[in-house]
Amino acid sequence: MIEIKGISRTFQTREGEFEALDDVSFEVRDNEFFSILGPSGCGKTTLLKIVAGLVKPSAGSVLVDGHEVAGPGEDRAMVFQHFVLLPWADVLTNAGFGLEMRGVPRRESRESARPYLDQVGLTRFASHYPHELSGGMQQRVGLARALAVNPDILLMDEPFGALDAQTRQLMQEDLTTLWDKEKKTVIFVTHSMDEAAYLSDRVLVMDTHPGRVKEMIDIPLERPRKPSVRQSPVFTDLTTRMWHLLRGMVGESDEVAPE
Amino acid sequence: MTTPDETATTSTAFRSARAMFGRWLETDWFPWVVRITSLLIFFGIWEYFGRQQETSLFFVPVTSVISALWDLALTSEFWNAYRETLVPFVYGWLLALVVGIGFGLIIGRFQPAFQLSTPYLTFLNALPVSTLVPVAVILFGIGYSSRVLIVFLFAVVEIILNTAAGVRYASRDLIEMARSFKATEWRLFRKVILPDSLPGIMAGVRIGTGRAVVGMVVVEILLVAVGVGLLILRYRARFQSANLYAMVFSLAVFGVVLLTIARLVERRVTRWKVVMEETK
Repeated sequence: MIEIKGISRTFQTREGEFEALDDVSFEVRDNEFFSILGPSGCGKTTLLKIVAGLVKPSAGSVLVDGHEVAGPGEDRAMVFQHFVLLPWADVLTNAGFGLEMRGVPRRESRESARPYLDQVGLTRFASHYPHELSGGMQQRVGLARALAVNPDILLMDEPFGALDAQTRQLMQEDLTTLWDKEKKTVIFVTHSMDEAAYLSDRVLVMDTHPGRVKEMIDIPLERPRKPSVRQSPVFTDLTTRMWHLLRGMVGESDEVAPE
Repeated sequence: MTTPDETATTSTAFRSARAMFGRWLETDWFPWVVRITSLLIFFGIWEYFGRQQETSLFFVPVTSVISALWDLALTSEFWNAYRETLVPFVYGWLLALVVGIGFGLIIGRFQPAFQLSTPYLTFLNALPVSTLVPVAVILFGIGYSSRVLIVFLFAVVEIILNTAAGVRYASRDLIEMARSFKATEWRLFRKVILPDSLPGIMAGVRIGTGRAVVGMVVVEILLVAVGVGLLILRYRARFQSANLYAMVFSLAVFGVVLLTIARLVERRVTRWKVVMEETK
């Protein structure tokens, strides 16, 4: 279980202090697909980086299975919005790079990463370079890299945010299929209501300026989820509810994609 | 008045001619045609004005320069001069590479070291290094050591600054990614920061190499008349203009060869970057 307890975070800017997160508390259960939904600028990425141990909170703490997070750990792995692959290394080396950073020699990391590359359907592209791949394929490498370290918790920072609509939908479908096979705890940051409803067990809707917990929404859709679930009345009700929660903030901040 | 039919044919002809020229522009050998043609025209003009002169004391036609260079290249004096010149050059240059890259990596990575060394580097960078030649001679005499030192000083600052810049501008995103996987500082440095700063390091090596060549000649002409510098000064004193031009010409050839090698190494080491930019 992940416990987020009273997290606040302020940043120093030229205009003074900027309050990104204010007293955010919630819990994520084991093997839960948990989404954080909010307009950009609501501090959701900062929150995810605090859970990852990359950013220190100004106040509050994060507990994973009762242990306080003091930095990056072997129990967590992150998937980034802009993929962040090594441009000079081939796909297999990139997929094994998480292991390599944890001290596994390159040759072994590459071998260990093979099955994960297979899971995301990129075995054929093992010796290609990132710039030779489409955005969707690059993010599959990013996902394989995170899966290869076999984390208990997967932290995903708007992983499909930089992809076009069709690719995005395909990636969402593949991600639920993957998650159904091996139910890891996932914290998934997004600004797409449709995406949050389709993938999650629960969705935390965040308020903006400063980032606060606005509401927690249960997603009672059955699993495994099929693409057709998007047309169900329950799904439409859920996204409509999210839209009503978010629309007040849209004027203040930029994009929330109704889709 | 042209009939619509004629207009159509002319524009088609024009378009196909343009298409042909366009294809020509994109071939691999086209840049070489341009370069060689431009060089030939330059040499042609040089030759023409050279022959217009009443005396070849000041301005020598290119053909005389090349034949003088050919004659010089057959003498042992020429090669001994180059050997004399190159030994301190190689030592100073290698020292500059090792110290420059090493020091650049350190100050690029550690902010306090960067702050501490910035004033000295700025000072060295702003100062014409030639003015340090007399100082070096006072300190180390006119032997090899002061010549090595001057070559070193000419090259090292550019190498340090470019290396440090390469390290400092290593991708924040890649560093954060590596950290998220619990990278140790050393692994982060070796597997992310070092490869990501290679383009900067190699730019420093290339620029530093050019500067080392300058240092090598400057020290010989300004202060310690030996090697190639000695020959240049001697030919000038004896009004052997063709030989003087030939020596300068040989230095240019030497510099071009060295820089071409440096550029090839640079391109080889940073090939991923070149390929990436071409596919963009």
